[in-house]
Amino acid sequence: MLGGKLLSLKKLNMKTLKYFFLLFSAIAFITACNKKLDVLPQQNITPDQIQTADDVKALLFGNYSLFQNFDGFGERLIFISDLLAAQDQVDFVGSFTNYKDVQNKAMVTTSSIALGIWSNGYQVINLSNTVLSKIDLIDSSERDQITGEAKFFRGVMLFELVNYFAQAYSDGNVSTNPGVPIVLNAPKYVYDSTTAFVSRASVEDVYNQVISDLTDAAAKLPDFADNARATRYAAEAFLARVYMNMHDYANAATMANDVIESGNYNLVSTFNQAFNNVGNSPEDVFGIQQTAQSNAGTTNNGIITFYATYPTGRGDAQIDGFLDDNSGYFSHFEDQDYRKTYVYVGESIQSIPGYYTSKWSAFYKTVPVVRLAEMYLTRGEANLRKGGAPIGGFDPIDDINIVRARSGASLLSDINGFDFVDERFRELAFEGDRLWTLKRLKLPIDDDHAYNDGFLLLPIPQREIDVNKNLEQNDAYK
Amino acid sequence: MLCASLLMWVTMYAQNRTVSGKITDAKDSSPLSGVTVKAKGQTNVVLSQQDGSFTITISTGTNSLEFSYVGYADLEVPVSVNMNIRMSASERNLSEVVVVGYGRAVKRNLTGSISKVGSKEVENFPEPSFETAIQGKAAGVVVESGSGKLGQGIKIRIRGTSSISANSQPLYVIDGLPVISTSQSDITNDPTNPLADINPNDIESIEVLKDASASAIYGARAANGVVLITTKKGRNNQKTTFELNTYYGISNPARTRKFVDAKQYVNLIELAAVSDGTYDFNNGISGYATLDDAISDYKSWYETNVLDNFSLGTDWHNAEVNTDWQDILYKDNAPTKNIDLSATGGNEKTRFYVSGFYTDQQAIVINNRFYRYGGRMNLEHQATSNLSFGINMSVNRSQLNRVTNDNSFSTPGQLVAQLPISPVYDPQTGKLNGNTLYANGLFDAQFNSDKQSTWRTIGNAFANLTIIPSLSFRSEFGADILNLYQEAFQGKQTQDGAGIGKANVIISQAVNFNTNNYFTYDHQFNNNNKLNAVLGMSYLQNDSRGASANGENVPSDAIKNLSGTTLITFANSTNNRYTFLSYFLRGNYSIADKYLFSGSIRTDASSRFGPNNRYGWFPAVSAGWVLSEEKFMKDIPFFNFLKLRASWGLTGNAEIGESNFLALYGVSNYPDLHGYVPVSLGNSDLKWEKTAQTDIGLEFAVLNSRLSGEIDVYQKKTSDLLLNVNVPATTSYQSYLKNLGNMDNKGIEVTLNSKNIDGAFKWTTSLNFAYNKNKVGDIGGQIIEAGFDLTQRAIEGQPIGVFYDRKFVGVDPQTGDALYQGEDGKPTSDYNSAARVVLGKSNPDWTGGFTNTFSYKGFDFNIFFIFQTGNDIYNSGGAYMSDGFYNGLDNQTTDILNAWKNPGDITNVPRIGYFYGSGYQTSSRWLYDGNYIRLRNATLGYNLPKSLMQRIKITSARIYVSGTNLWTSTKYPGDPEVNTQTLGNIGGGQDFYTISQPKTITFGLNVRF
Repeated sequence: MLGGKLLSLKKLNMKTLKYFFLLFSAIAFITACNKKLDVLPQQNITPDQIQTADDVKALLFGNYSLFQNFDGFGERLIFISDLLAAQDQVDFVGSFTNYKDVQNKAMVTTSSIALGIWSNGYQVINLSNTVLSKIDLIDSSERDQITGEAKFFRGVMLFELVNYFAQAYSDGNVSTNPGVPIVLNAPKYVYDSTTAFVSRASVEDVYNQVISDLTDAAAKLPDFADNARATRYAAEAFLARVYMNMHDYANAATMANDVIESGNYNLVSTFNQAFNNVGNSPEDVFGIQQTAQSNAGTTNNGIITFYATYPTGRGDAQIDGFLDDNSGYFSHFEDQDYRKTYVYVGESIQSIPGYYTSKWSAFYKTVPVVRLAEMYLTRGEANLRKGGAPIGGFDPIDDINIVRARSGASLLSDINGFDFVDERFRELAFEGDRLWTLKRLKLPIDDDHAYNDGFLLLPIPQREIDVNKNLEQNDAYK
Repeated sequence: MLCASLLMWVTMYAQNRTVSGKITDAKDSSPLSGVTVKAKGQTNVVLSQQDGSFTITISTGTNSLEFSYVGYADLEVPVSVNMNIRMSASERNLSEVVVVGYGRAVKRNLTGSISKVGSKEVENFPEPSFETAIQGKAAGVVVESGSGKLGQGIKIRIRGTSSISANSQPLYVIDGLPVISTSQSDITNDPTNPLADINPNDIESIEVLKDASASAIYGARAANGVVLITTKKGRNNQKTTFELNTYYGISNPARTRKFVDAKQYVNLIELAAVSDGTYDFNNGISGYATLDDAISDYKSWYETNVLDNFSLGTDWHNAEVNTDWQDILYKDNAPTKNIDLSATGGNEKTRFYVSGFYTDQQAIVINNRFYRYGGRMNLEHQATSNLSFGINMSVNRSQLNRVTNDNSFSTPGQLVAQLPISPVYDPQTGKLNGNTLYANGLFDAQFNSDKQSTWRTIGNAFANLTIIPSLSFRSEFGADILNLYQEAFQGKQTQDGAGIGKANVIISQAVNFNTNNYFTYDHQFNNNNKLNAVLGMSYLQNDSRGASANGENVPSDAIKNLSGTTLITFANSTNNRYTFLSYFLRGNYSIADKYLFSGSIRTDASSRFGPNNRYGWFPAVSAGWVLSEEKFMKDIPFFNFLKLRASWGLTGNAEIGESNFLALYGVSNYPDLHGYVPVSLGNSDLKWEKTAQTDIGLEFAVLNSRLSGEIDVYQKKTSDLLLNVNVPATTSYQSYLKNLGNMDNKGIEVTLNSKNIDGAFKWTTSLNFAYNKNKVGDIGGQIIEAGFDLTQRAIEGQPIGVFYDRKFVGVDPQTGDALYQGEDGKPTSDYNSAARVVLGKSNPDWTGGFTNTFSYKGFDFNIFFIFQTGNDIYNSGGAYMSDGFYNGLDNQTTDILNAWKNPGDITNVPRIGYFYGSGYQTSSRWLYDGNYIRLRNATLGYNLPKSLMQRIKITSARIYVSGTNLWTSTKYPGDPEVNTQTLGNIGGGQDFYTISQPKTITFGLNVRF
């Protein structure tokens, strides 16, 4: 009997051994599961996946998308300055409190518009910094263009930020007036509180950085570029704006002249051909592209959403004035001027009737950021204010008349600086120029606001002040 | 060494003994034959005889017998001489077997807090998902169905809400497999409930693991509690038993709001005209010469633009048209049908349970319907004396025909805003009235469709290996596969179709793959000390993939899906995966069945956690003292059973989302220049939210075990809450996720069961109630808001989800202005200067259920109430339906008839008027007390006599009539079980044209043969 038990024990042992073997192999398989804990995201990439030249270029192209955003040139960088200088230009009749506050020059520090422009701006700047930090991955044949393009974005955005959030260059002491923080290092991917609390650099320092970036960009960018990418002339066009703010008329004229003389751009024969295009028009030195799938918004945001009549858009941004009684906007034009009647009648989403500019009337079209017409007006005005031999060889009066002639306005025979101010208004209304022109010349913005009124600046966003004690709020909002 | 082990084998094989006893039904003491009797840990099985007696031979190594019988709760009873076993389907029994994580335990020996709900409570409940059936059945488990729409997500909170940003739903496990319980549907509509795919009639028992000792075995996913669902299984050596359940029900809304009718509406409009005219004249706004001029001018505006305009030429003076729009949106007597057939049984080696079912339920709101059919097979086979294996599998198809969410103008619920003077059909054309105040949702109801169909397969294959009698190994491989296909279409004539026709498609596939592998060691020492230990691992992988596309511009309404559209405006795909790898160990040690100790530890690693905190450790300890076994207690006959237990443990909430610890770039689609833009900052320290829970419990049975109960007191401290920390935007980011907040929950749970009368007429009562107090601790000074209209916030020091806005304090009798509480505490009519204060909260203080069961001869009657106090409900729709026309000319609720009319009127309803009405802003004006008590279910059944049944060879047959939500008592003017937000942590108790719960009468039949 004992023998029988011994035999069954041996069989049991064998069976058990077989099972244990199976068990151990199962366990070995199971511990291989450890690798399964590293799951990569399928809809996003991580920073260590930026490895090739194409990846770095993709980061650079991300900036175009940020420029197109409604917090960038897709709407706010153009629209908000026009709402601040709304008199005779635009009248916001919509219900959005944050936009009404801008027009009333009564913004609050919690304004989502201020926060939007600020945060989008720094996203652009930081993305350029990232590209520059990885420039070695770019093939040497393209390195200049990519460097130039990255600096173009950074320079332009710093310029927009210092214009909106800081006092004008023409106002007071630029070496002590607070500007905006200058951020030149690539952002970290993990929050680092030791480097995060930047403070506002002076207006002068910001302008110097802008000039440095845009000048380098102009040197490195090509003359022509596909897909409406930045070119040397786009950088120079912005430099022209920078120098005008600084009253550096010689440089302003030089830059504007360079763009005109390049021969790459032409004024379109009729004014309407410069707008609502698919792709840049011959006149666009720099423009933001849009399509049905890629645009600044069609319901609650986007420059066309506000300016186009309901039911296309919201129709919240009407012309300040009435054609019938030649009031407001319309009083600035001769009757035969095409630009006077480049308007149409419509009503807002809340059924308020009014006039609308035809410049922003169809969705999914290119947003012109700088047009050649502006360059003529800049060169003319800079040459006039500089005095002496005009840079480019054309008299200021010729420059102003080229623009006037295109729209059928009468030719002027005797001009002064104010004529250029007025012509800029006639040509560039609703395109975000008015406020900056009035500010740089210290002209009153409207009957109630001098050029240096504190409420003509955007407030530093409250949440930024809350999070970063090194940031100082603008005086009017303290 | 070999000799010693040999000796051990020999002695083990030598000692057998015989145990016998009798098994009866606890309800009527009739003998139960065919009950499976098994020695615990062994394979030896016998059946009880016709007279209920049984005899079984067992060997040492086990000292308990397991009893199981179809329709009755499993018992595990220590061996004794002449065992007298009473089995019951619904009574609580200390010998009852309770499912715990990775194993089973006897209720008497539990040291943790576990609530069990049996199959009788869950089966044949006329709602799509089983969770509604457990409402009010388990103390501390608060189940909230937010709407009468079918298939909606259901909010369940076990011992309060323990998180702010992470999902607070419990973990659901079916037969050991964690299942998908989060909505896979269209994110623009309400979340749906994947648990509705499961057939409630397949459920044997539901165990809710509430405290840390019970749930920590599930580690990083257990902080919100764990709901274990066990499906029905066959029994060895059991003749195949068939069961047929069928019922037919009709549903109507349980509680609707009272709106004014056509005549009253006209009177209100006339009052508004007078009110506005008077206000205008008194304040010199338009410069009328006399009061009469003002009033007649306003009257003419109202009559022309409202009454004439919307009555479409009918005679509104005499209420020629009096449309009850609320009646139209609700379907009268919505039918529900169900049929369920199952078979269970087994021979010596194999046991099985198979079932098939079909359910078709129409909702009380039009166009909403849920139907589901499918089958299940649970099979286990004993291949050798050591090895058994099997499979539990169900395949179901469900289809949900949906309506739009409560916030859409097109949803049926918003039809109540239309005017009673508007006819349903245009008298000129005979077609649906297209000239209503708001776009007529009946067009959408007629021409739009939204169908979501899901194929759900839940399967689990397992093998059990007995290595030595006290040590076994179990391996499970399971998958939960959810395939969802949604097709929606909006016709050209409808509001949502915008005149051009739109359609979309969503395809979603979610797969949970899980494997559990663990050893179980069960040993009884000679001195009656027992040790049970479990050691194992588990691995879970979830893959969720989906694609969706939207299109518009259809030639006509003929093709009601995406292929009919001609312009695709949006298309995208998603792909997410998460994994969990875990190891666990648990030990239970009992000394003389008197002193019980338990300890467990689990380590969880997940792909969701940052690399610095990949692994988390979750220990738990608990102890129990069965005082009634002590000598000194035996002298006090009052207590039949008294046990004191305590536990402490750590659990985690891992619902922190995928890849949130990584810094990420997203794709940008600028025309022709495709790029990357930064999306989020990384945080390698990101990990689970941690909850430390302490529980002290007392279980007792007195008066000959006629009164028994359980009391638990608990405290949960949650820390490492996942919150967004603000950073300067100059870094390119505005915030990042960090574990830094904390929150507390404290409460008491009481369960009482009593057998009041136990003769031919039986009456038992079961009462459970629970109190929970939640407090938000430190959240880093952030302001975190949610809520539809009236803001709800997480405020430090307050319960989560407090309503935070201005307080409405009454009406100024002189002017009719609404008054609010100002900064200084005094009433002010200036809304903007009024202070924002905490007004109330949406989570209840006390919740519970009260059941009474009666039986006499063949009749049984069961009546069940649920109740809830301490919560508030905000009617977000009040700003439109109860504001007196300022926010719109909507139809009003009847309380507006008491509006202020003349100076000196004392009323709580401010001055009405489209132009100068008052009290129209969000405030506590539409915040109501949400306490309620509801007759959840009353069922009267009759078991046909056994003599009659035997003649037609049927084991038993019962017919019943049952009513659900028959009666409600509450101060809230609508249905108090309402939450349009359904699932969030902060938002809750918000009503926005939400559909009432259904009141259902069902007639049913259960037959067993």
